[in-house]
Amino acid sequence: MLFVENRELVVPGRLLAEGDYFAGEGTFLEGGKIFSAVIGLAEIREKSISVISLQGRYIPRRGDRVIGIVTDTHPFGWILDLNSPYTGNLMVSELVGRKVDVFREDIGKFLRIGDAVLAEVREVDERWRVQLTASERGMGRIRGGRLVEISPAKVPRVIGRKGSMLKVLEETSGCRLEVGLNGRILIRGRDLKKVNAVVEAILLIEREAHLSGLTDRIKAKLEREG
Amino acid sequence: MAEAKPEKLLVDGRRLDGRRPDELRPLRIKAGILKRADGSAYIELGKNKILAAVYGPKEMHPRHLQQADVAVLRCRYNMAPFSVEERKRPGPDRRSMEISKVIREALEPVLFLHLYPRAVIDVFIEILQADAGTRTAGITAASVALADAGVPMRDLVAGISVGKVDGTVVLDLMKEEDQWGEADMPVAVMPRRKCITLLQMDGNFTPQEFRQALDLAFKGVEQIYEAQKEALKEKYLPSLEEGR
Repeated sequence: MLFVENRELVVPGRLLAEGDYFAGEGTFLEGGKIFSAVIGLAEIREKSISVISLQGRYIPRRGDRVIGIVTDTHPFGWILDLNSPYTGNLMVSELVGRKVDVFREDIGKFLRIGDAVLAEVREVDERWRVQLTASERGMGRIRGGRLVEISPAKVPRVIGRKGSMLKVLEETSGCRLEVGLNGRILIRGRDLKKVNAVVEAILLIEREAHLSGLTDRIKAKLEREG
Repeated sequence: MAEAKPEKLLVDGRRLDGRRPDELRPLRIKAGILKRADGSAYIELGKNKILAAVYGPKEMHPRHLQQADVAVLRCRYNMAPFSVEERKRPGPDRRSMEISKVIREALEPVLFLHLYPRAVIDVFIEILQADAGTRTAGITAASVALADAGVPMRDLVAGISVGKVDGTVVLDLMKEEDQWGEADMPVAVMPRRKCITLLQMDGNFTPQEFRQALDLAFKGVEQIYEAQKEALKEKYLPSLEEGR
């Protein structure tokens, strides 16, 4: 039995469903009943029920694309800040894509503290130690562009349904965007004015993430300013 | 403080401020009022004015305080120097350290701390103006702030104090009743399952009075729980409706 409507705002402890339902993300099971664990919107998909959180920190998951900032080095790689309770570890070989003899080569030439890195989460173990990889094409050290940081809970809105918002942002401005699921977004473009317009648009999306019709408004705004 | 004890705290079933024994003081809760904190809440219960802020889950420093399997919850209950009639010496003292501890223990049972091993969640409770019942009001505000921060929780925690004045069991003591009454019992509850997470007592109750007081506390907690949920919805709903 269901006790909520689809897309209804729920608070922690709210009874969502009982019986033949699967407890998804943002929910928990107690005595055969499913409750919401966070404040967010209930999402009912056939027999599974989850809550899309409207708040919260970024928690790394395998396969996530993230933008990290180097905070420390160790003999075989770097520690990256992921805008999360957990830091990421990037090994030299995972950055350059080959075996590196750290006794012969100085790894300082690849990355320095403060550098931003586009990476993918390769593995998260049960102690939340995060291994990153950045050897794929287009990944690795970020050489230029503008970095914006928003709340990780709002990132899905910047991407949009099947990437629709992202497409609008890129096509109307001519800029290239790299979206880190940890709330960091990189904007690359020649025209500074357009880059600024995209930054403004992203901050607007963050502020009004919950509103519908946002994609059209952003498109109009970018076209007006660009 | 210099005021003398009033002759009677209860006249014709009415209290000093005109309330009946089972009535709360005017309650107002607002969620998400601090921009810099991950989650926050403000509560006014009668003359109490309390601000709660939550940071985290975030990386725990120093590292040796990390717990390998769960997140650590840290609470700080602090009274502003101007929160009471006689200036309070700022900083932690015996009382506020103890209250910080019991507040932490009152909030811990609702949090899914095992989801964030090695991390820490900081809760700050600042008493801006005190008028009895600050620890329970602080717990009420802190749990709203935790929900506002998006921390996964089993339920909210609502707190209230009950006590005895002039031989009558009353709900939500105010300062005069706390000072001159015969008993004061702060209670914090997870309202959904009616689990008690904090229970302290100062003064004397007979077993019957204790039961009566506890029943009264549960009634009060229900009202507070509704106000907490309303406060959270109030922050998030308007923006959602606008979009429809």
